[in-house]
Amino acid sequence: MSPELAAIHDFLSECLPFDQLPNSVMEQVVSDIEVSYHSKGSQFGKQDLEGGLRVVRSGAAELRCGKDLLLDRLAEGDSFNLMGLNVEQPGVKATLIEDALIYTLPEIPYQKLRSEYRAFDRFFSSQRSRRVRRAARHEPVPNDMMRPLSDLMSSVILSVEPSTTIQKTAALMSESRFSSILVMIDEGLVGIVTDRDIRSRAVAKGLSLDEPVTEIMTPDPLTLLPSCSVFDATLFMTQRGIHHIPIMEDKKVTGIITASDLMLARKDDPVFLVQHISRQTTIQELKKVVAAMPDLLVQWVNAGIRSHQLSHVLTALSDAVTVRLIELAIEEMGPAPVPFSWLGFGSQGRKEQLLGADQDNALLISDDMKPEHEQWFSQLATYVCDGLNECGYVYCPGDIMATNEKLRQPLREWLKTVERWMRSPTDRAVMEVSIFFDIRTIYGDNGLTKNLQTEMLKHTKTNSIFLAALAQNVLSTAPPMGIFRRFVVEQNGEHAHELNLKKRGVIPIIDIIRLHALAHGLFEVNTIDRLEALVECKALTIVDSRNIQDALQVLMQLRLVHQAEEIVKGQKPSNYVNPASLSKIVAKQLKDAFGIVKDAQQGVKLKYRPGLG
Amino acid sequence: MLWFHLLSLQFQQKFYLRYLEQSRYGHLLKHCWDESFDTKNIKPSMRCDDVEFLVADLEMSSLDSREGEILSVGWVVIKNGKIQLSSAEHHLLKAKKTVGQSAVIHNLRDCELQQGKNIMFVVDRFLALAAGKVLVFHHSPLDMAYLNKASIELFSSPMLLPVVDTLEIEKQKVLRHKDQVEHGELRLAECRSRYNLPAYPAHNALMDALSAAELLLAQLDYKGRDVRLRDLF
Repeated sequence: MSPELAAIHDFLSECLPFDQLPNSVMEQVVSDIEVSYHSKGSQFGKQDLEGGLRVVRSGAAELRCGKDLLLDRLAEGDSFNLMGLNVEQPGVKATLIEDALIYTLPEIPYQKLRSEYRAFDRFFSSQRSRRVRRAARHEPVPNDMMRPLSDLMSSVILSVEPSTTIQKTAALMSESRFSSILVMIDEGLVGIVTDRDIRSRAVAKGLSLDEPVTEIMTPDPLTLLPSCSVFDATLFMTQRGIHHIPIMEDKKVTGIITASDLMLARKDDPVFLVQHISRQTTIQELKKVVAAMPDLLVQWVNAGIRSHQLSHVLTALSDAVTVRLIELAIEEMGPAPVPFSWLGFGSQGRKEQLLGADQDNALLISDDMKPEHEQWFSQLATYVCDGLNECGYVYCPGDIMATNEKLRQPLREWLKTVERWMRSPTDRAVMEVSIFFDIRTIYGDNGLTKNLQTEMLKHTKTNSIFLAALAQNVLSTAPPMGIFRRFVVEQNGEHAHELNLKKRGVIPIIDIIRLHALAHGLFEVNTIDRLEALVECKALTIVDSRNIQDALQVLMQLRLVHQAEEIVKGQKPSNYVNPASLSKIVAKQLKDAFGIVKDAQQGVKLKYRPGLG
Repeated sequence: MLWFHLLSLQFQQKFYLRYLEQSRYGHLLKHCWDESFDTKNIKPSMRCDDVEFLVADLEMSSLDSREGEILSVGWVVIKNGKIQLSSAEHHLLKAKKTVGQSAVIHNLRDCELQQGKNIMFVVDRFLALAAGKVLVFHHSPLDMAYLNKASIELFSSPMLLPVVDTLEIEKQKVLRHKDQVEHGELRLAECRSRYNLPAYPAHNALMDALSAAELLLAQLDYKGRDVRLRDLF
């Protein structure tokens, strides 16, 4: 290559996937290029199947299959190989929608690059959706806290039959140096006995050691799935004060995990923080603990915790703060006069919080509530909401807080409210109430919450006007992609030339999936859980569900990494990115993710607003 | 009037032939004439896709060929309607005089030009490639004046080869729509932007040759699939 062709070299090395090739190879690539010019409307189709990779140097093109099906829009720097596309899907044609200068890498050198460079080849081995999937699935070394229990649990299971005596059980345990033993009938788990049970339930009480072990066992112990993370298990144990958990899958015990197993797995983990939170005795102390979160977030992002895991952790932290505040309030005011449930909505409800989340909460109180009890709950709400605000979970600008009298009601009033929403579902009203459907108990009586949720879902499943109004909201935010697949950025203001990932990408996905979930009466509120449940009830295909999960993952991850960068720079974490600052590969993933959002919106339009435009 | 252009070139060739034959390297140009005037390679009725073009650009130390000299040459070949980047070449020439103020434009400094090649070497290489091809320049009179000057020094004859001028093609196109050409309208970069061609760094002989080549492809495309060589004159 003549060094004077550096301009072409530079252009190509910025293009996917040429950026994956070493510099020395790029020089040969440039020499192999053939340049051609084609005016708007020209087509590459069957007659051009001699192959070769075409790179759009200037102009724009569309890939279509048949007359109508638009596969992709290509702009400057995008490339396509018609031969490969036609193998996947016969009848693919490229039409230029702007005058274009095309660089062609002929078939032979193109195939040679593919066979010699894996990273280059992988880019072409399939089409758009699979490209996003690879990005989403490419997880760096997993963080210790996120390892599944199956990595740590002991799969040697020590068990006895229910009729075994306490003495014999204890002998077996010391012989095998186990601190716990399972009581089982054949393969069925009946109970668990630990060292402590023998001490406190047998020896301390002077129970005869010839009694059957069933006398001292904990019947029907709590179990976990082997896919649970170390984080989940540790949290589970600390919250319930237990140290031995059988691991079950498909109704079969596959292992056992102990607190000390978990101790070995954790290093600088968020669990300590959760535990720490539950030991604080004043709001000031809580505030101090929470203030360390931005730094920890940066650390966790750098440690490779993925966005869905991290938002899970951050939600657990804000849950812990909320719970601790309620406990502190109860210490001050005495126990609750009647059962209640402290509800979290929106991102907290969905377990999808990131930094800078505001409050979205409410109180659901038992119908046994008497008018004189109102004051206790009102004080609780004030104490907790003020405390949360103090700790950095700012007051909800829309007043969706337990301090709002309308959101501090017994179940029967809540049910009336739900009915009212359903009676006049205007687009606007529906938008305002939609976050109430992402509902979760943070503290208190989960039975109350389930009653309310059951009632909500009973309505949403059948009220097609309500669903159509939700659909209208879903369709009102178009993904920020202009024609020619360029990003549409904010025009002015503080964030001019930037893109709001949350508003334009994450929220639309959450809204779409909520709509599907409500239409099918699903209890899940976490978006990923909802997506999986939708596949289960055959409302979405596995492919669509995975594509959306991956798009969400790409958007969330980008947002998270960006927030971590902002924190490092001492800025306030925001939801904006400047597309010009993204590397080509990330920009490509982002474009693909928005493409998937757009497809999902089309699906909503067809399903819930047929004929409504 | 391509046939007339070719005929007049051939007349002139007949006149210069005897000088050429006396010149030591005259056979190099003679070979080029034979190939380029063979109707197997070039004839007015050929489809442009079937014609091979050698698109070139020169950087000189002055706009006046009587006082300036060639500093660098760049070229690319168009074959089957596609620019073959493998054919791209760029040569610096050994300058006799200092480049003076012109260095500001072409960025070539005396020290680099001292390393340059001998004019004979470059012209030999140029003629070997030009044989059987149509030459293309953007604003050919200037470049051809320098090439003819070099040719006369070396072979006692001007080049007398068929030349297409992308500036001329563009001028005809503009004048079909309006009465006069505006200032700067026919500059290479301006022409390119009308065809949605990307901006390239200017004033390097090879990039300018590539720019002109892409412009020619765009112009041909606009004239339609069936454009013939004669339509370019």
